[in-house]
Amino acid sequence: MHKQLVVILGFVAMVPATQVNSCKKTTPGQGPTPLSFVTPPGFPPPQYNFAGNPLTKQGFELGRKLFYDGILSKDGNFPCASCHQQFAAFCTYDHDFSHGYKDQFSTRNAPGLFNLAWQKEFMWDGGINNLEVQALAPLTAHNEMAEDIGHVIEKLKADTVYRTLFKAAFGEDDINSQKMLRALAQFMVMLVSADSKYDRVKQGRAVFTPTEESGYTIFRAKCAGCHAEPFFTDFSYRNTGLPLHPQLKDYGRMKITADSADSLKFKVPSLRNVALSFPYMHDGRFYTFDQVLQHYTTRLVKSPGLDPLLTNMITLSAADKVNIKAFLKTLTDSAFVKDKRFAQP
Amino acid sequence: MKKLSFSIVITVISLLCLAGSCKKETSGSGSIKPVDSFNLVIYFKPVADSVLLHYDSTYTNYWKEKYSVSNFRYYISHINLINTDSNVTKQINDEKYFLVDAVDSLHCLVKLSVAPFRYNRISFTIGVDSAHNVSGAQTGALDPINGMFWTWNSGYVMAKLEGRSSKSSLVNNKMEYHIGGFAGPTSVLRQPTLLFPFGKYLEIGVGSKAKMTITASTNAWFYNPHELKIANTPSCTTPGQMAWSIAENYSKMFTVTTITN
Repeated sequence: MHKQLVVILGFVAMVPATQVNSCKKTTPGQGPTPLSFVTPPGFPPPQYNFAGNPLTKQGFELGRKLFYDGILSKDGNFPCASCHQQFAAFCTYDHDFSHGYKDQFSTRNAPGLFNLAWQKEFMWDGGINNLEVQALAPLTAHNEMAEDIGHVIEKLKADTVYRTLFKAAFGEDDINSQKMLRALAQFMVMLVSADSKYDRVKQGRAVFTPTEESGYTIFRAKCAGCHAEPFFTDFSYRNTGLPLHPQLKDYGRMKITADSADSLKFKVPSLRNVALSFPYMHDGRFYTFDQVLQHYTTRLVKSPGLDPLLTNMITLSAADKVNIKAFLKTLTDSAFVKDKRFAQP
Repeated sequence: MKKLSFSIVITVISLLCLAGSCKKETSGSGSIKPVDSFNLVIYFKPVADSVLLHYDSTYTNYWKEKYSVSNFRYYISHINLINTDSNVTKQINDEKYFLVDAVDSLHCLVKLSVAPFRYNRISFTIGVDSAHNVSGAQTGALDPINGMFWTWNSGYVMAKLEGRSSKSSLVNNKMEYHIGGFAGPTSVLRQPTLLFPFGKYLEIGVGSKAKMTITASTNAWFYNPHELKIANTPSCTTPGQMAWSIAENYSKMFTVTTITN
């Protein structure tokens, strides 16, 4: 009898303490550790709104774990990293399309993930307007991760490790989609690729070979109209004379804007790490540099929507092509693809 | 012993109360955020014309097409209460979004804290303003978990009406209207201003609580000013001209029917 009373009194005594703790958001000095974002030399200020999602070590690490965890997919087999492989600058190496749930394929070539902090719109058609909501598309696509947002949150809530990590990153017990998406965004926004040989040359830390140097000169004259430095894309949408794929019937940007002027327009991809990101184009139809150069010099299909810069195709001599290919290889960022911070935890 | 069990009960109850006291305003899988203190409850009553809407019943639209409803949801935000006699407009809960869901009456209640005054109009936005469509991951009523967010073409579905109709040519006679689009000339954001029943005012006094019923009629989606026949257009799930027309129609679906001061 006495024992029971003591137990009850104990509970009552604990009540005020419990209340105080459960209401506290963060304990001073024990919050997440701020992480700084470094803008590389020559890069403009980033587009991503860091004020709305302050970078922290814990948030970034949580994002990294989520990125590599199959828990985000319906059957557990398809983490983000299954299509976005670090050794390929986070595209799918050597695949036109990527593999998804139940042996299905994606319908577009997975783009490399880097320098996303400077990107305003995402996907080949630019349909997604904020990095934070980008992950929802592959997560819910029936042929990719095939999951349901609510179900993912339930799975994360049921996982004690994740409960601890979310609390460490965001200071609250609750797990919701906003925190999951912000953690993923923290990881992805940190994927900065700006340490290629090209970058080192620009900073005076390396020199091009004569072939690379000539390639760079031709590149600036003939390619940089769309593949503008320092990102090697101007982030615009263009019709580059690729005929409509007869089975996929992918009209690109027009799907988003419903404007026939945007028919067959796709985002200009960055050429950073381009030696790792084959096959090329939005549907991976070309496997080699040579095929791509051949397209722009002799094969492209002229239609009313063709980009004005390509009206007369691009004229390149055999030597020009050799030089351009040498230059493109200087855009490979070997440090980025081996950076331990971005590897599977 | 009896006393002891009584004190156990009391202790458990008080612990439960305390556990609940720290709950945040997030709504989890639900939709409507509870407000700490409120003095006006608006019941957005789902109807088909004047009949209370049930998900298992059949209704007839203006074009004599029979249909049933399985999902009827829309966002309400930027609510203003107005007195046109004295030219006063009070903005309330400016940053709050409410997802009204006809699935049950509890999800049709919007609880507001309103400045004391005498009002004769109410206006609100149907949908989510453009800023919240472009500023990344949201939570509460705007959590994408609520199934009102397009993942392939970022943006909120502002209003949704789903069901079946024998007039629909789609698989399973589906009828599916997901209305969204926040930018440019086909933006579906609408801000209707509703009159009150003749001679009625909403009187918000200090310490008083008022109730208002606003009916939302699914039948309004199908006509006035734009013809929407299920036979011709059984679905609309992308932004554009059709979505814009349907939004024009549903912006007229609301009627203030009762005010209880």
